[in-house]
Amino acid sequence: MTTLTQNQSDPFKFSEHYTGYPPFFTLQTSASARQAQLKRWSRLIQRYCRHYKIFQISIVDYQDKDLFRNAKLNKKLYPEDIRTVIDFMVSQDGQQRAEWVTSAKASAWIWWRRPEEWATSIAAWVDETGQKGSVLTLYEIVEGDASENQEFHGMDMEVLRKGLAVLAKQNRAQVFGTDDQQGVKFF
Amino acid sequence: MSSRRGVGLGAFTDRTSTASAYQTRGSELKQSRAASLLAQREVIQSLLHNFAVQHVDTIKANPQFRAEFARMCHAVGVDPLAGSNARGKKSEGGLRAKVFGADLKDFYCSVAVRVVELCQRTVAENGGLIGVKECCEAVTRGRAGLIGGGLQVSEDDIKAAVKSLEPLHSGFKIIIIAGKEFVRSIPKELNTDQSTVLEILQLLGNITISLLVLNLSWPKARAKTVIDDLQADSLVWVDKQCPEWEYWSPHGLLDED
Repeated sequence: MTTLTQNQSDPFKFSEHYTGYPPFFTLQTSASARQAQLKRWSRLIQRYCRHYKIFQISIVDYQDKDLFRNAKLNKKLYPEDIRTVIDFMVSQDGQQRAEWVTSAKASAWIWWRRPEEWATSIAAWVDETGQKGSVLTLYEIVEGDASENQEFHGMDMEVLRKGLAVLAKQNRAQVFGTDDQQGVKFF
Repeated sequence: MSSRRGVGLGAFTDRTSTASAYQTRGSELKQSRAASLLAQREVIQSLLHNFAVQHVDTIKANPQFRAEFARMCHAVGVDPLAGSNARGKKSEGGLRAKVFGADLKDFYCSVAVRVVELCQRTVAENGGLIGVKECCEAVTRGRAGLIGGGLQVSEDDIKAAVKSLEPLHSGFKIIIIAGKEFVRSIPKELNTDQSTVLEILQLLGNITISLLVLNLSWPKARAKTVIDDLQADSLVWVDKQCPEWEYWSPHGLLDED
């Protein structure tokens, strides 16, 4: 079980290819270089989002954040290129590490953990803490003291619902209740 | 000064015989010298063998120690890697194979495997050209998430490992660009123009078409062709966010994870 060790107030540490390599911000024309570059961007975005516990990014809001803009080099990844990177992350090649929220492609879920992976770690935690058969509120899972050192502590509610939906499909959990008062029973 | 040289015809025969006597003696001396040197060399080689057997762990673990050891081997005319290829053939290379046991051979094999892995992993972004230094750093660091981690290697080890791949005709070789050594993992040859540009790139870090035109007195089309070719092979990366497009060597890229 992974525990949360990094302090989220620490700024994200960008690696060298980002801080010292201007061509990183121009999508390359050679197919192989571009593929390698997309993979690097995908990894960077995942690491960044994981560090700050970001689950969804909107291109408009993020295009000028330090993730995509390097003020020191005065370079940025332009919105259409950000879209290309996320398209790659959505694809099989990009290991489905992102999902567009709507077909307008304005915002995307960034799956630094995919919903199935969240499902696995929540199920493991329920197992370990002997909460099988009991009912928990969604709020408890995310904000409760019991999950404090878990990676899913403080996670996005909608992502949690997606994760629980995976467990429900496998008949390992059942979600009930209405929007802000949802609970879940694990079996 | 009075001369003791004989006079008359007799002196000539005398001189010849003296000269030949000297020669015989000389070659005798030479022979015995050579024999004793040969014997000494054998002693040293056998000592080296004992040493290698005794210290194989240190040789494998410590790159500095290994480098010194390799230097010692070269001094007595033993190539550490020729030994590994000559294993089994008792007549030639028998001694070499003895000096360098299977252990050390395995070591260079595993270095070579990692170099090949690294080259394959990064070929898409660097076009199959990677600095020996960067290669050494990456192999030493190992791959994140892999148990076993890195191998303590020196640049000499990397070069030796690449050399050990030669019999496989793998196309891996060491090339030198502007005084810096690179592992070339793609057998494709670079033409003169491409090599020139790579050399300049190595010295300056990045280039533009007009810089090439200006400094090499090339027509623009020639400069552009070279850049286009290099770019197609991922040997340069382009930065379009500047007044004139800049082309960078991808060697700043190797790091992370």
